[in-house]
Amino acid sequence: MKGSVLKDILRAGLATAAAFFFYSLLGGFGPSTLFVLNAFSVVVVTFSVGQGEIFGAALGAVCGLIQDSFSLGVFGVAGLTKTLLGFWTGYVSRRMDVTPFFRNVAFLLVMSSLELVLWVLLNALVLREHVDLRHGLIVLQPLVTALLGSFILNVARRIQARRA
Amino acid sequence: MPIWQKRTHFVVLAGLIFFHLILISIQVPLGSEKKLFGRAVFFVFSPLQKGVVSGFRGVRSAWTGYFDLRRIRQENQKLKQELFFFSQEKRFLEDRLLLFRSEAEVRASLDAFRQSLITARVVGADAGNYYRSLILDKGSLDGVKPDMAVCDRFGNLVGRTIPPVSLKEAMVQLITDPESSVSVISVTDRVVGIVSGRQGALCGLKYILSSVGGGQEGEELITTGFDKIYPAGIRVGQILSIKPTPSVFKEIVVKPSFSFSALEAVAILPRVSGGAE
Repeated sequence: MKGSVLKDILRAGLATAAAFFFYSLLGGFGPSTLFVLNAFSVVVVTFSVGQGEIFGAALGAVCGLIQDSFSLGVFGVAGLTKTLLGFWTGYVSRRMDVTPFFRNVAFLLVMSSLELVLWVLLNALVLREHVDLRHGLIVLQPLVTALLGSFILNVARRIQARRA
Repeated sequence: MPIWQKRTHFVVLAGLIFFHLILISIQVPLGSEKKLFGRAVFFVFSPLQKGVVSGFRGVRSAWTGYFDLRRIRQENQKLKQELFFFSQEKRFLEDRLLLFRSEAEVRASLDAFRQSLITARVVGADAGNYYRSLILDKGSLDGVKPDMAVCDRFGNLVGRTIPPVSLKEAMVQLITDPESSVSVISVTDRVVGIVSGRQGALCGLKYILSSVGGGQEGEELITTGFDKIYPAGIRVGQILSIKPTPSVFKEIVVKPSFSFSALEAVAILPRVSGGAE
């Protein structure tokens, strides 16, 4: 049991490192792609579906705070929204079957869209200004998160099935 | 069994939300500096970010270097670097002359400027607020300090360095950030005002009285140096539109001179005293 938890934490750490790696690459070579693909969100939703709400919330907090540290916005906004993203993705996925690919995409799309809405609202509330939506480009972020997250989950399930 | 043991997940969630709300609330109203915790996270992760980008650039450069004609490539890079410095110097010289400084003053400024110019590469951007900040690959070990002006390769003003400045990385506040302020003067009508960011990629020229004449669309704005952060004479942007408002001030929209798509390399300028005369 203890070994399994440690293994999960190690896996989440590696996934966060991978998300950070892609986030850095995208930021260095095509900053505007950060609006469409948020690698931290992908990691949070992927692990929350597999590990549940507590794990998702904690991972969301870590990933969000890392993202916040590279932003001139309010430190903690992404931390809070990703915490909630991790929690509600884990919570709902334990109470309904989201295994089929397209159902998973739809589920993650709803979860990521909620996160985006919350992030926009929080920023508008704290910064007292309209959030720059990059001419609507940011709306694609939940879709990309949902597609990538579902793809990773699907691949992971297939690998597990083969091993079994 | 107590209720908090039955509902552990909600207790954890409440704790995390409480932690974040505390974190957010201590920053509101927004101050100019990041809090200690934010700085600590930046100090830990910024070298990693730089390492990832530099590593990838290194691999890419090795790959292209292998296939390219090496001598020509090196020569090309040298010429590019020289061009970078020359365009900065040319821009600086032109702007100084525009401000009617004497030749001796211009030479002295140019010498000081040439010695202390730091070139840097952009290694990160702000995912949440694209037009607010950037991360550079030069830090305090390279002589970067907070409040140093940052220009693009054509000598256009990009922003200024702000805390946190780590050992090998620095954060830049862009002039398109609504929290930034740059003292500027228009080159033709000599209208003095403050350029701040608006929403998106545009800026606004603030505090120009509606009753004051001067200022026209297309007119260029340069720094005055009054703010003691940005050296005088750097190109900031062009007036895009001027609208009268019912308030005391005009609404003036400014298009920044720098381009977001050409921000791979930048120059960090030394802090110099003095302003427009």
